[in-house]
Amino acid sequence: MTATIVAQQAINGIVLGSLYVLVALGLTLIYGVLVQINFAHADFVTLGAFAAYFVMHALGGQYLLGIVAALLVGAALGWAINITVFAPLRRKGNELLPLIATIGVSVMLQNAMLAWFGPVPYAFETPYSQKVFRVAGTFFTLQSVIIIAVSATTIALLYAFMKFTFLGKALRAVAQDRETAGLMGINPNTLIMLTIVISSALAGMGGAMLAPVLVLTPFAGASVIVKAFAIVIIGGFGNVEGTILAGLLVGLIESFTTQYLDPGLIDIVVFGLLLLMLAFRPTGLISERREENV
Amino acid sequence: MRQQHLLVATSALGLIASVAIGGANAQDKTIKIGALLPMSGPGAYFGSQDKQGIELALEQLNKSMVNGYKFTIQYEDSACSPLPASQAAKRLLDQYKPDVIIGEECSDATLAIMPIIEQAKVPMINAGSSALKITDPGNPYTFRIMPNEVMQGVDIASQAYNKLNARTAVLLFENTNAGIGNAKVFKETFEKLGGKILAEIGFGRDVNDFTSIATRVAGLGKIDVIPTYTLEGQGLKITQALAQAGVVKGGDGPAIQLGTIWLPFGFEQKAGKAATGYVRIVQFDPTDPRDMVKNFVSAFKAKFNSDPTHLNAHAYDQIMLIADVVKRGAKDAQSIRDMLAQTKSFVGVTGSVEFDKNNQNVKMDTIHYMETQPDLSWKALKWN
Repeated sequence: MTATIVAQQAINGIVLGSLYVLVALGLTLIYGVLVQINFAHADFVTLGAFAAYFVMHALGGQYLLGIVAALLVGAALGWAINITVFAPLRRKGNELLPLIATIGVSVMLQNAMLAWFGPVPYAFETPYSQKVFRVAGTFFTLQSVIIIAVSATTIALLYAFMKFTFLGKALRAVAQDRETAGLMGINPNTLIMLTIVISSALAGMGGAMLAPVLVLTPFAGASVIVKAFAIVIIGGFGNVEGTILAGLLVGLIESFTTQYLDPGLIDIVVFGLLLLMLAFRPTGLISERREENV
Repeated sequence: MRQQHLLVATSALGLIASVAIGGANAQDKTIKIGALLPMSGPGAYFGSQDKQGIELALEQLNKSMVNGYKFTIQYEDSACSPLPASQAAKRLLDQYKPDVIIGEECSDATLAIMPIIEQAKVPMINAGSSALKITDPGNPYTFRIMPNEVMQGVDIASQAYNKLNARTAVLLFENTNAGIGNAKVFKETFEKLGGKILAEIGFGRDVNDFTSIATRVAGLGKIDVIPTYTLEGQGLKITQALAQAGVVKGGDGPAIQLGTIWLPFGFEQKAGKAATGYVRIVQFDPTDPRDMVKNFVSAFKAKFNSDPTHLNAHAYDQIMLIADVVKRGAKDAQSIRDMLAQTKSFVGVTGSVEFDKNNQNVKMDTIHYMETQPDLSWKALKWN
């Protein structure tokens, strides 16, 4: 019985951790390239969740197309906000302005979603949520399998993009030294735009994956973003591999804290770990020089 | 001739003055209602549904007015949380200066508002917060028209033990005054009757994934009932997770989930098959044969093109109770408070109201137990 429970909570933790990773990756990517925190990331997640919800329902339950729609909506939103808000503010040369603007964008998006979608929680049931598999005393849904598959594929694609494509290498060059990359013929503004678009697309897709788990309201993203920030810090700000590891670790911590301690203690345990990391290993789980993180 | 002109002019001035004074009086005869309701955050569905009930009541009352009084309202977002609720209460009292307040829904927020309205000597009618402390000891300006957590908790625990033959229970609750308080009352009553509590699992409002909690519950052995105290969003996730874990009837398990008025109508449709077998209290029965209820249901449908929920009905009753005390002669904050305290036989669409010395409604005719059927409809259990 105990072994079954341990196995079950491990499954729960990995599924939850995979969701956290999807959200946290976008945050860490933006920090790695722009050295900027995006407070509106949570709302990109929420908007992605709503996009998936409405597309899925419009297409008669096509959840997978909902995920694609959320990814596209996230990317389009990132592009639009960069063009209209972030890029003009960056040109002013004050790094604080885009940071404050992300807070403004967050409040604006939350209230716009409140006006569009209303405050009543949406029930996001995918055709896969009710398909439950029971194996050797454990259970998991088809939805969980999709979450892990999509997360793993996304991580692999992102890794391949960063390591093996010209654009990925150019992104890393901009992260290392924006001015020098510019002198080498790389347009930093284009690469910054690309980073924001990828990050927002990840947030949108994360929203689509989280939506069946989240209590879907216009404030849904806010409930996971604090954990995502903690994951980014534990993993090492801007460090993709560290973020993946930290996301899975936090998911497992949540599951086992629920089982053996108390769900009310989850935040104490997670943020206690965050404080310990800041005190004893501020560079994160995987220590790297910041300029090599992305 | 000149005297005649003077007389006409004087009469005209007098007429204008009397009309002006009369007009001023008519304008002054207004009861200002302040509404402290959650319009944002996880409890925002309370505010949006309350607002519908309020608007319908005001529309009906202001057509003919009550004792020559019309009713106006101002809403403030109190967000189901103590700090924004306190700020909203101060803003409302300073700027709008209401004669009476309705709200809040969440107990923590209501408890935070209570000392502020007491200091301002403005009465508040509450219809959504169950924490005992609100009326025990409470304060002279706070009135609650719904049963408190003890009245509900004792009843639901007794019904679980006696009617469902439940002997084991797991308590799931949010870590708030109301969540903890409701769970505590259930535990005390259930254990006193001879039942056993296998686990008490509290959680914050930021928890999204309840699979781990469902896993823990599944590992606790034979469970008869699972009383659950959460807002709608988390309630949905818990019900679905418990079904996936094969714990509750909705997931072909043996346990019955028990719920309270925290959940709005329509919960079952959102939760789907997982909600099958869920037994919960609702405080408004839309099939109630009384004419008052029939009229309310049809007026609500005509205005909003949907069926009213208990939240709509509660808010409607709060306004109608204010109208009732105005009809009995109340005209300002103090007299509204005094008349409210004397209320013995108000009858609303949710049930009746009679306040005890702590301003707690003692009537229990608002509690109806419903069981969710496989087609997600309700079966009235008629336990009370």
